[in-house]
Amino acid sequence: MERFDVAIVGGGTAGFSALQQLSNLGKQAILIEAGKTPGSKNVSGGILYSKTPKNGRVYNVEDVFGQEFVTQAPVERLITKYILHATSNDKVFSIDLTPAHEYQSNFAYSVLLTKLIPWFAKQAGENAERQGGGIVSGVHVRGVSWNGDKTIVETDELEPFEVKAIIAADGVNSELAELSKARPKFTPEELYQGVKVVVKLPEEILQERFNIKPNEGAAHLFAGDVTLDHIGGGFLYTNRDTLSLGAVYHYDSLMENPVEPYVLVDRLLKNPLISEFVKDEVAIKEDIDKSLATQEQLRARFAVSKLLKNWGDLRDQYYSRLGRARLVENGRYKSEEEIKARLDSIRNELVGRYNTKFVNDYVELEYSAKLVPDGKRCRMKKPYRKNILFVGDAAGRGIFVGPRIEGLNVGIDDAVRAANSISRSLDRNNFAEEYMGEFYTKSIEDSPYTRDMKEIDKDYLKLFLDAAKAVPVDIVKARYGIIFKLMSSGMLRGLAVGFANILGYDRLLPMVETRETYVQVPIELAEKLGSHTASTYSCTIPTIAQRIAKLRYNDDTLSHIRILDPKSEFMRKMVVLCPTKCYSIEQEEVMLQHEGCIECGSCAKETDWKHPRGEKGIEFRYG
Amino acid sequence: MEIAELMASPLNLAVIVKLEPDFSEGSVSYNSDGTLNRAETKSILGPHSAIASAAAFYAKVKYGAVISVATMGPPIADSALQQAQLISDADSLHLYSDRIFSGADTLATAEVLKTGIKKMEGTGEMDIVFSGHRASDGETGQTGPQTAWKLGYTFLGNVICYDVDIEKRIVTAKRLITLQGTPDVIEEIEAPLPVFITVDPSYRSVFNTVSLRLASVKYQKEAEQRAQNYKNYLKIFNAQQLEVDPKFVGLPGSPTIVYKVERIPKARASRRAEVIDGSDQQQLRRVAEKIHEIVGRVVNQ
Ligand SMILES: Cc1cc2nc3c(=O)[nH]c(=O)nc-3n(C[C@H](O)[C@H](O)[C@H](O)COP(=O)(O)OP(=O)(O)OC[C@H]3O[C@@H](n4cnc5c(N)ncnc54)[C@H](O)[C@@H]3O)c2cc1C
Ligand code: SF4
Repeated sequence: MERFDVAIVGGGTAGFSALQQLSNLGKQAILIEAGKTPGSKNVSGGILYSKTPKNGRVYNVEDVFGQEFVTQAPVERLITKYILHATSNDKVFSIDLTPAHEYQSNFAYSVLLTKLIPWFAKQAGENAERQGGGIVSGVHVRGVSWNGDKTIVETDELEPFEVKAIIAADGVNSELAELSKARPKFTPEELYQGVKVVVKLPEEILQERFNIKPNEGAAHLFAGDVTLDHIGGGFLYTNRDTLSLGAVYHYDSLMENPVEPYVLVDRLLKNPLISEFVKDEVAIKEDIDKSLATQEQLRARFAVSKLLKNWGDLRDQYYSRLGRARLVENGRYKSEEEIKARLDSIRNELVGRYNTKFVNDYVELEYSAKLVPDGKRCRMKKPYRKNILFVGDAAGRGIFVGPRIEGLNVGIDDAVRAANSISRSLDRNNFAEEYMGEFYTKSIEDSPYTRDMKEIDKDYLKLFLDAAKAVPVDIVKARYGIIFKLMSSGMLRGLAVGFANILGYDRLLPMVETRETYVQVPIELAEKLGSHTASTYSCTIPTIAQRIAKLRYNDDTLSHIRILDPKSEFMRKMVVLCPTKCYSIEQEEVMLQHEGCIECGSCAKETDWKHPRGEKGIEFRYG
Repeated sequence: MEIAELMASPLNLAVIVKLEPDFSEGSVSYNSDGTLNRAETKSILGPHSAIASAAAFYAKVKYGAVISVATMGPPIADSALQQAQLISDADSLHLYSDRIFSGADTLATAEVLKTGIKKMEGTGEMDIVFSGHRASDGETGQTGPQTAWKLGYTFLGNVICYDVDIEKRIVTAKRLITLQGTPDVIEEIEAPLPVFITVDPSYRSVFNTVSLRLASVKYQKEAEQRAQNYKNYLKIFNAQQLEVDPKFVGLPGSPTIVYKVERIPKARASRRAEVIDGSDQQQLRRVAEKIHEIVGRVVNQ
């Protein structure tokens, strides 16, 4: 049997950070990822933070991947604006949270994981090779067994192999957590369901629209009527030439009042402010004149497709500074004016010859969804089991406090701590729980991120409340009584935070993570203080069938999910809550069609849920 | 020390490939009479040649084999070699290009390839030569067997997987036998090296251990780098350099000549289709009866 020092299961941001760190420390590690290529299974919002907390240190992405991360990594935009919008119909009240966003932050980039993770994989893979390790993708780990002092990893594709220690970076639906009995499955109260669409928008149109410089970016959050009465909210982040628009809701609040995940995204798109954000010029093909000879119809159809493609490609280039420069540099055009002239002439030909219409609409590229663990409620207190250390989403870790949405950076910090703990154990050849697991637990408990999962940071809260100064006290007071009255007074704020922390998150959360906070107060704010917004068009939102049709799957004939009780209340709700409509009810029983599954994990609680076999299932293009 | 480390190159492989028109959608161009317009149609490494290259890559990953890829064709056929190198991580590329080779039939092609392979052998013998099952542009699957015959190698056709016992110098392989009217058969065979293998379209390399996967990633990366600078690996031979006998190559060496190509008229479909509306009970019953009848007939047979 082959033997390796460390196996990392799962190649998300956490897994690859662990591989890089172990390799940096000169240790041999292999990373096993189920997806065919790294990044193809991963979904985030997502903004990746680097932080310098005032008390205690965290390990940031650049600590692991070096300054090359800042100079070379394919990140999207440096987020320099962070704005929260309270919505009610066409009224919006906005609060600038940029100071809270910048709190303790070195930088924050918007990222698309299908681009970023391959870069992580390249760095970490080359580094790992030098230590006799590397990356094995397209392989699904299905079991771990212990035989005396041997730890054996079993996969669906390869012969079993032996390792000394394991890092479980297998995400929120961690199979390792389940098969090692490290923790029970997360409950809806401990989870959020995230759903997202990526929207295309040419680079400079995007910059003008969001009033940002090249490379800079904006983040917009939404609460109020757009939540359709759920606890959570919407987000819109600018990427280089796309937007990430999505919704993250407490899963228990969705369970209570089930709404199709895509309807929540659709609701955001229908908000006039968001409609205007995503707006673009879109061509609509006219039907070809059927009275023409077949040959002629064919020719026309071909010509239109070709012209449309040319127009789209050239337009993307034209609205990008680098794109224009490239076209001029390689001699295809003499000047920017010439590109514009060509663009106009293609457009005129389309309009004049082929009756193509150009309208305001938006272009959706990809639909995706994933569960997110709420670190405040479900972080593993002992994130280990035997010689397995759990990191990132697999360990239930992430900071979701009001407008703070942080899972990526937390997973990276965990990964470094886990790698350091294992490295220490390799040096001593001691992988016992007391030596390795406990050391890791202590390290992770020392992380300022863990503290943020346990208690309120009063300086952050101060920034938040300062930003919300314009909010009339009466709206808040009526809703939150004594705590918030105290908090809104500068002098008493410290005392209030202390008081809140004595209550502890356990008692505090049910008081603040409520419909009041996410729905009623924002609606009231928008109604009372908001300004009217209007959209000049209404977007053509794709149906769920159209959205699924755009996704790329490598179908597995075997289903990776098995329904346990086809009549349970939970499973009946899945008919609504599965983001790709995999469930239906036939003769009182819930049925599954696994082919459309995007592996979000929303149905995992009451199913026998595994990730698909290696290379099978969904392959995201943006993530 | 392991055997593999003792020997500088445990296994010498050659792959013979072919540049072919790209028959994928959108790449093909036809003349007005319906024949292929070769000048306008893009050319790529033939799909069967690609599979042969993948089969050679397996031995590179598993045994650290040394691979040479060869083709006969015009100078632009070097692109086929580049693509084959990207798949196989070949160590050297050989192009046999000379005006006097043109008009060659399969036998004359086999003569050039044989001479080339003999020339490659240099110090030691070639252990395995791979070729595709057949070409997709009007070849009848004879070049492979004829080259094997000229080389005097054991011929293994339709291979779907193989392994080599380096120490015993034996190759074990599975081959797929498809006969009309009977179910497919998979034969397991064993033969001493050297052998000539034509690879079945259903061939798949299986890397089933972590080490093999890691090695395959490493060689893939090497292949990408090599293919980017493929000219550094390329040797071009004309007839003289190859030292072939002009009598046996090109038109003079071709006993067969294709003097006319006749298009086969499309046969009329022999199936009759009938649209049945599922809402009509009576029609459905007829379908059920029909199925019953056919199944009965088959079972009784
Ligand atoms: C809509 C949404 C918005 C978000 N926004 C933000 C944000 O703005 N900022 C932020 O910091 N965080 C955000 N998050 C959270 C963040 O995306 C996650 O915390 C983070 O991606 C988790 O990374 P991970 O490496 O722990 O897990 P994952 O990225 O889930 O990686 C797990 C990997 O393991 C693989 N795997 C699983 N099981 C196996 C197995 N048995 N064998 C082999 N491979 C396996 C999977 O294929 C996958 O690649 C958001 C999340 C969502 C869903
Ligand atoms: S079947 Fe389950 S895991 Fe798959 S998309 Fe639906 S809810 Fe998500």
